[in-house]
Amino acid sequence: MSVDLKARAAQAVELAGQAGAEDAWSTVTQSRDVQFEYRDGNLEKVKDTTSQSLGIRIYAGGRYSSHSTTDLDPERLQDFISEAVAITAALEPDEYRRITPEALFRDRPAADLDLVDTSVQALEREQRIAWCQALDETAHQHEQVISATCGVYDGTQRSASASSNGFLDEQRSTYCWFGASVTLRDQGDKRAEDGFYAGGAHVADLPDPEAVGKEALARTVSRLGSEKGPTVKTSMVVDARAAASLISRLLGPANARSVQQDRSFWTPLIGEQAFSKNLTVVDDPLIVRGLASRRYDSEGISARALPIVEDGVISNIYVDTYYGRKGDMTPTTGSPSNRIVRPGDLSLSELLSEVGEGVYVTSWLGGNADGTTGDFSLGLRGHLIENGEVGRPVGEMNVTGNLRDLFSRLELIGNDPYPYSSTLTPSLVFSDVDFSGA
Amino acid sequence: MKRREFLGRAAASGAVLTMPAFLSGCGVQQATAVAGKTPENPFMEWFGVDQATTARVMSELSANGADAADLYFQHSRTNYLVLEDGIVSSASSTIEQGVGLRVVVGEQTGYAFTEDLTLPSMLAAAKTAAAIASGNTVVAPQAFNAKGAGDLYKTSVPWSDVGIDQKLPLMKFVESQAKSMDEAVEKVAVYWADQDERVMIATLDGKLVTDHRPMTRVTVTVTARRGEEVQSGFSNIAAREEFGWYTEERLNTMVKEAVDRTMVLFDARRPPAGEMPVILASGASGILLHEAIGHGMEADFNRKGTSIYSDMIGKKVAEPFVTVVDQATIPRERGALNYDDEGNKAGRTVLVEDGILKSYLHDNISAKQYGLQPTGSGRRESYKYAPMPRMSCTFMEDGPHTRDEIIAAVDRGIICETYTNGQVQIGAGDYTFYVKNGWLVENGKVTAPIKDVNIIGNGPESLKRITMVANDARLDTGGWTCGKNGQSVPVSQGIPSVLVSKMTVGGENVS
Repeated sequence: MSVDLKARAAQAVELAGQAGAEDAWSTVTQSRDVQFEYRDGNLEKVKDTTSQSLGIRIYAGGRYSSHSTTDLDPERLQDFISEAVAITAALEPDEYRRITPEALFRDRPAADLDLVDTSVQALEREQRIAWCQALDETAHQHEQVISATCGVYDGTQRSASASSNGFLDEQRSTYCWFGASVTLRDQGDKRAEDGFYAGGAHVADLPDPEAVGKEALARTVSRLGSEKGPTVKTSMVVDARAAASLISRLLGPANARSVQQDRSFWTPLIGEQAFSKNLTVVDDPLIVRGLASRRYDSEGISARALPIVEDGVISNIYVDTYYGRKGDMTPTTGSPSNRIVRPGDLSLSELLSEVGEGVYVTSWLGGNADGTTGDFSLGLRGHLIENGEVGRPVGEMNVTGNLRDLFSRLELIGNDPYPYSSTLTPSLVFSDVDFSGA
Repeated sequence: MKRREFLGRAAASGAVLTMPAFLSGCGVQQATAVAGKTPENPFMEWFGVDQATTARVMSELSANGADAADLYFQHSRTNYLVLEDGIVSSASSTIEQGVGLRVVVGEQTGYAFTEDLTLPSMLAAAKTAAAIASGNTVVAPQAFNAKGAGDLYKTSVPWSDVGIDQKLPLMKFVESQAKSMDEAVEKVAVYWADQDERVMIATLDGKLVTDHRPMTRVTVTVTARRGEEVQSGFSNIAAREEFGWYTEERLNTMVKEAVDRTMVLFDARRPPAGEMPVILASGASGILLHEAIGHGMEADFNRKGTSIYSDMIGKKVAEPFVTVVDQATIPRERGALNYDDEGNKAGRTVLVEDGILKSYLHDNISAKQYGLQPTGSGRRESYKYAPMPRMSCTFMEDGPHTRDEIIAAVDRGIICETYTNGQVQIGAGDYTFYVKNGWLVENGKVTAPIKDVNIIGNGPESLKRITMVANDARLDTGGWTCGKNGQSVPVSQGIPSVLVSKMTVGGENVS
């Protein structure tokens, strides 16, 4: 397992050079992934895999292409790279397609982000089964359980990169997650379903499996008897877990590609007071043990904390090297890492009590947003808020609006960031939201 | 980035149907092109994986006992090209090669894969997969009975023989057509993809199947500006086809759709929020079937009792003029398959016949549990995954009404025409789809354009509320991808114009 990935990447760069590339950037990845799934008291599935692949970006004659393969047979790899260079020559030249400049990766941090836990690599079958059993037992503590599937997912990843202009580095990480999905008998033929999963880079950071199984069951039980809520304009409280995907939708068009291609509603708002002053979002790749932490991104760009929105003002967007050059924007990073929404002071129950009446959203179902205009419409599940408390469960409803307008009416923020997502978001409260239901 | 992939998976509930991700603006890997000289059976020619080798690995895989076992060899090469700002300056290609090894003992599955197709590496993976079984009943693999590939999508020119020099002019043609159709069109992007996938499936009970599965898709996105207002839209076409499929006429139809869909957005509004009659236009509205019933009929959910349809076989679920079919044997469709990914002959399964719920979609495991023949519905994303029951081409057959009669029957409602994605919760039966373009219907007449609304309903309730079905059934030509438990597979869908008497439509509150 201890293959020298950096040497492999460097060798691929060399092969590209011999085949006629002026510049090349290669990334070699290797992972081991183990999955144990348990259903209703029995082990149902064990998956244990080791995977590897090689990717290479070729720059030749002012032209560019990128390639990847899982076939690492030396002879065919050589043909693959020669062919990649030949393909590149058939394209049109583009002055903006250039290798990541050294200045962008030279000073990358050397910090130890503590992303590797050797005890993940040492996990035994017995431990995984014991976790499955604990999850399974707690997730079944209700007479209406039809089925519960529990799983343990762990693994180790390595990724090494080399480039023709001097980049050579490797990042490693481990992960270990477990959780349960539960289905309960509900009215008629209906079933209530939900689940809960927790995890991190280190085994020591995992909560008790019993607590996770209980949470999965409790979330499902809270769905029992769900009915269609009303068509109404009212306040919306989004719980921390569901808020992460709402923040992801908001930030979806916050990148140089969308801006340069005129497909981002963020474009005219950059540098402006675009959203409520309650909203501050920072992209921070350097969090110790963070779920999406890294020292450099896929282009090699040095990791650093990047404020995206500060008190509602857009301060930065995600800028990769290509669309940055093309759109005259300074590169920041092309892809998100840990996104942190600044928490407020109130607990969820205080938020609900402040709001008094409205809809409390616990998860989304489908829906989409138009990144060009910000128009969105999402299906939801949750509860009515009645007298400042969580009321009866509702579903089969939509919420519709415009992301910019919605985040202009972000009235309150909770103090409860959801820890099991790389988007660390607390509960959010919005006013005057359009719901459709019965 | 396996870890993030998992996070995404854990966060998603239910099953998801999507169009390509280019609308999201995040860094989708775009890419490239050309001729890899892949032999027709690369497993044999490159690795000497003959029947004796396959049998040797199969023996190791079933060494601890097995009710079933299979080997799924895959070699696929996908080429992508991107045209933006008038030039094609980005190409990429991806080779995925490996073998997935599965052993099933009772309801237990052991799974491993390796990308290294040498015998020692395959034997090691087989041993890992076999570890789930602890029996000592040694099962002797059956002698292989090799089957030739089917003929649903035979091509005369494999994609590996088509050079970038042939694809480039076609992409430029698409761009120039889009720009010439309306002066408000500001930017045009064209995305090209083609794929040659070769599989060889060997099973413990002696099946040995090879298949060559081509696939291609072209997408055009259009951004238009009127003053300060910017709108974007798209269209795409996809099939198990070869280069010659891209005729000028076919491309022009796609471009016109994309430009029309974009320009109408300048005048489109949100409909009023709430419950109302919904007319589903023929074609892409097959998304209703995929979400409202298709997923719920996949037998893995039903054997676990987790689908809302678990106890409904033989019951009346819709009016007698409603018949819903899943059929993999429609030539050259995106969802077509000669054999499924367990080596079973793919076929035609009637889910609802004349309003009665007839059959689930089965893979080997569920068929065995129900004591039925598999329906050839076992599919997987790649060698990295175990198969499960999936849809192929899902559609509704023609009914007794006409589109005009349906529109005339609606006092106040909407027509849905184009979609980006849908999702369903298998147990509760709640499903959604996102309508990109549509129309208001008032007093039996089509009035104003609408845009960007999610529609939500409950599967069995919506089936009961299908009160009219027209005679204009057609399959959509768009490149739909279905996601389930983290695995994506290509699918097709279709439907005639249909009236659902009541659904919940996202929109603005009028009061």
